Amino acid sequence: MSSIATSPPAARAPSRLPLQLVGGWEAGLLLFMVLLYGAGVYINPAFFGSTDAFSAVLRDTARFGVMAVAMTFVIVNKELDLSVGSVLGLVATVFSILYAPSHVDAGVGWAVFGAVVTGVLAGLVNGLLVTRLKVPAFIATLTMLFIGRGLVLGLTGGKTIAYERKAADDPWFFSLGETNALGFNSQILIFLAVAALGAVVLAKTRTGYQTYAVGGNEQAATYAGIPARWVRLRAYLFTALAATLAGLMNVAQDKGITSQYGQGAELIVIAAVIVGGASIAGGRGRVLGACMGAALVVLIDKVLREGVPITRTIDVGGIKMEVQAMAQLPGGAVQAFLGIILLAAVLIEPWAIKGGGAARVWARLRGHEAPPAPDRGEAAIVGAQTKGARSDARAMGARGLRAFLARRDAAAIILVVALWLVGMALRPDFWGSLDNSFNLLLAFTEIALVSVGLTFVIANGDIDLSVGSVLAFAGATAAFLMKELGVDPWLAAAIAFAAGTACGLVNGVLTIRYGLPAFVATLGMFYIARGLGAWLVAGRQLSGFPESFNLLGRNLFELLAYFGLEPSGGLGLAVAKAVSTQTLLLGVVALVAAVALGRTVIGQMVYAVGGNERAARYAGIRTDAVRLWSLVFSAMCASAAGIIYVAYLRSFNPSAGTLRELDGIASVIIGGGSIFGGFGTIVGSLAGAAAITLIRSLLSLQIIMPDGSSFVLPQHWMNVFIGLILIGAVVGDIWIRQENILGRLFSSRSASGRHA
Amino acid sequence: MTPIVEMRGIQKHFGAVHALRNVNFRLMPGEILGLVGDNSAGKSTLMKTMTGAYQRDGGEVLVDGRPTHFRSPQESRDAGIEMIYQDFALCGNMDVGQNIFLGRWPRRYGLFVDRARMYDEAQAVLKRLKVDVNSVYQKVESLSGGRQQSVAIARAISFNPRVVIFDEPTANLSVMATERLLETMAELKKQGVAQIIISHRLTDIFEVGDRVMVLKRGENVGDRYVRNTNEHEVLELIVSGTPETALTADEALARAA
Repeated sequence: MSSIATSPPAARAPSRLPLQLVGGWEAGLLLFMVLLYGAGVYINPAFFGSTDAFSAVLRDTARFGVMAVAMTFVIVNKELDLSVGSVLGLVATVFSILYAPSHVDAGVGWAVFGAVVTGVLAGLVNGLLVTRLKVPAFIATLTMLFIGRGLVLGLTGGKTIAYERKAADDPWFFSLGETNALGFNSQILIFLAVAALGAVVLAKTRTGYQTYAVGGNEQAATYAGIPARWVRLRAYLFTALAATLAGLMNVAQDKGITSQYGQGAELIVIAAVIVGGASIAGGRGRVLGACMGAALVVLIDKVLREGVPITRTIDVGGIKMEVQAMAQLPGGAVQAFLGIILLAAVLIEPWAIKGGGAARVWARLRGHEAPPAPDRGEAAIVGAQTKGARSDARAMGARGLRAFLARRDAAAIILVVALWLVGMALRPDFWGSLDNSFNLLLAFTEIALVSVGLTFVIANGDIDLSVGSVLAFAGATAAFLMKELGVDPWLAAAIAFAAGTACGLVNGVLTIRYGLPAFVATLGMFYIARGLGAWLVAGRQLSGFPESFNLLGRNLFELLAYFGLEPSGGLGLAVAKAVSTQTLLLGVVALVAAVALGRTVIGQMVYAVGGNERAARYAGIRTDAVRLWSLVFSAMCASAAGIIYVAYLRSFNPSAGTLRELDGIASVIIGGGSIFGGFGTIVGSLAGAAAITLIRSLLSLQIIMPDGSSFVLPQHWMNVFIGLILIGAVVGDIWIRQENILGRLFSSRSASGRHA
Repeated sequence: MTPIVEMRGIQKHFGAVHALRNVNFRLMPGEILGLVGDNSAGKSTLMKTMTGAYQRDGGEVLVDGRPTHFRSPQESRDAGIEMIYQDFALCGNMDVGQNIFLGRWPRRYGLFVDRARMYDEAQAVLKRLKVDVNSVYQKVESLSGGRQQSVAIARAISFNPRVVIFDEPTANLSVMATERLLETMAELKKQGVAQIIISHRLTDIFEVGDRVMVLKRGENVGDRYVRNTNEHEVLELIVSGTPETALTADEALARAA
């Protein structure tokens, strides 16, 4: 008591608030925006100089801003929602299909109702997956991203839907997307209303306080009686509803949709919230900052997309002509820059806000002594991670079938056999043929290579979301070098491999050196590498490479023939014709990886880091190096797959490797890996990759009906199935392998039987 | 007799917080020392300073009378000092044998793990410790808390340490497991291993300990032989000890006499 009595009364506010609280971050953002807008005016006065441009920036900010407001809640909760762009697209699609005279032709009220129901369902699925089924947020929402995108493609068939004429009959709804009587777009008004509401709710209400508490320390919040799961679920409902609102704003503005709606929006929205000062580590973030972040990122997006007017001289039939043109960055570049901005914001935020970096720079500028950098502090005791070995405990002492079923890769092996049999049943005339088997093996190579690398990363307890993009980047590099620069094929392959590997190195350094969660670092690379790849080939398909390069994708016979070593007949010929170079390469890589992971100290270190990183560090294992090299190895495998892709198809398409991260992660998880780390074998991952290959192949199988007609699943739906499989695998791993739901079901039944 | 570990005038600051003020510490070979005190008394900090997990700001650490300066727990491990953490620091996804040899798995042909040797030696260590863990092939996370701790102890013992530090060893154990742990400690003492127990539970220290040392707000406030004191006196030192009550165990003994 005495110590309290002697201390001065603490009634008045502290004399100096931290910079963050007086809005220093927001002021900086505002200054930066003004500078950026100035740059825009300088680059293209015709566009940015007009008031139209200003209101266009605000109008586009409105949609992203609405989502950013809701995303702030999710990020403060220490989570992420990658699905907002897809939900926006899906909602817009559902609205359009219901409303368009060419489709259902319902009233606007019904269309809005359908859209809202879709949005709420999407939010519920995200929220339930994360909170009830314990799926990590980035996996659940990434899958929703692809499923949503797949649904949009499937529902629209990739076509545009427009209803300009009918929209004129419902002015009250469609005026929401247009300029109002006051001279600015109504969307801005909606945005301001949502922002004000969000700001008040997050900063002043119980709901907001609960959000900060859960983000700061979920366990403590739970102990304090806060319904943490509901708080997290609620945030996903907010983002889904915000995406719904944004989708409706979009259709109100455009009176129609394309299947591209909302693509990449999640990147802008998440970048906006982080740029706005929220912490990816949870517990911090403000709605005002997120709104300004949205304006800034949209502005950056616009400045990057806006062309610089130039005068180009062209030669038409010997006559030189001057043509007015716009020099523009290709689309991929914008994506790459946005990815870099996301990573930069994630990196700067802890330095500037938590570490007081800005204050220190300011003090040094004034010649004062800089305040000391606060201690990062050691992490609190990380509880012993005990997940997933129950199946192994069951395997102890089990024999025969039981022992097999208790193996973590049993599911993958059973699945492969079952799927192959399904194929046989559907198309007995074709499925078992040598041709089909050969094609399956080739399709297997790419997925399998990616999964071999991912096995190390996932066993480490990290994740690599960038494998598909790195695959595309390496392929693009090889294609670009050979086609545009005429580089020697082998050198081109080597440089492409090095370029892809460099991506892995960046992932590793961001994760290890700067302490970013692997999913954030590789999410940034997911956009950057794909953007760079598209940029290199300028978004076009390249083909016509030297045949010596394409040999990488041919069979052994052609390779040997190229060197004049072809076998003349007998078994040698049959083998050389059946085995392709890429299968051989995969075999070597997989064998080396399997031995390294299963039999050597390297593998033991990987499992130790994945099981309990702190324990591994105490045991003298260089955990940072293990995680770094795993990420690099994953990128190496992806790069090799990218080079093979180009050689095999004899062409490069910028969409190469799309969804490969889903395929790869699903393969590893089906094959016995755990999304929480510590498990996974190469054999299992290969079996998982085989299962995924078979599923993909079955989905594109032409099924012959009894009446002689045939049916092929439209390829647009593929995303949906692959997404469902990944989520099924993760949920299955968590609930069947780790929690042993089935085992408990049986044991409780037998126990109650005994009681009876 | 030279103390196996001696610390003199240890100082440690964390920013503005003066965590250890001129702390002295002595541990004799084969002795079981209880280190007690309130939360934030500096018990763990003192131990981390000793093992090199923290760097001291002042004072000396002597092992076998020779001044040392451990820069990491690895170095103190090489000098024969092992620490068993409260959460055991084991990898649940790996089996008992792999955990006992975590980070130093026996090898052959360079990188390959010599599994046969690893499991044989793990078995031998467990036998020496007289603890019962069903199988060296069992995953650690399928073991109970007490058995996980046995694995952690076995791991520490396999380094042939001369000093073992237990951080809150009985905090997460059942009564039965605590009994077994105390038996294990007595067994280790018989084998000549000096032990330090950081604990809140005086009962345990009074059951196996030889001496008890009390810290309060980063200062020595008491040092007594267990046979010459009682729980009441130690509690009093924890709550209201001062540097004047510190003494050494021998001084306290002389004064009591």
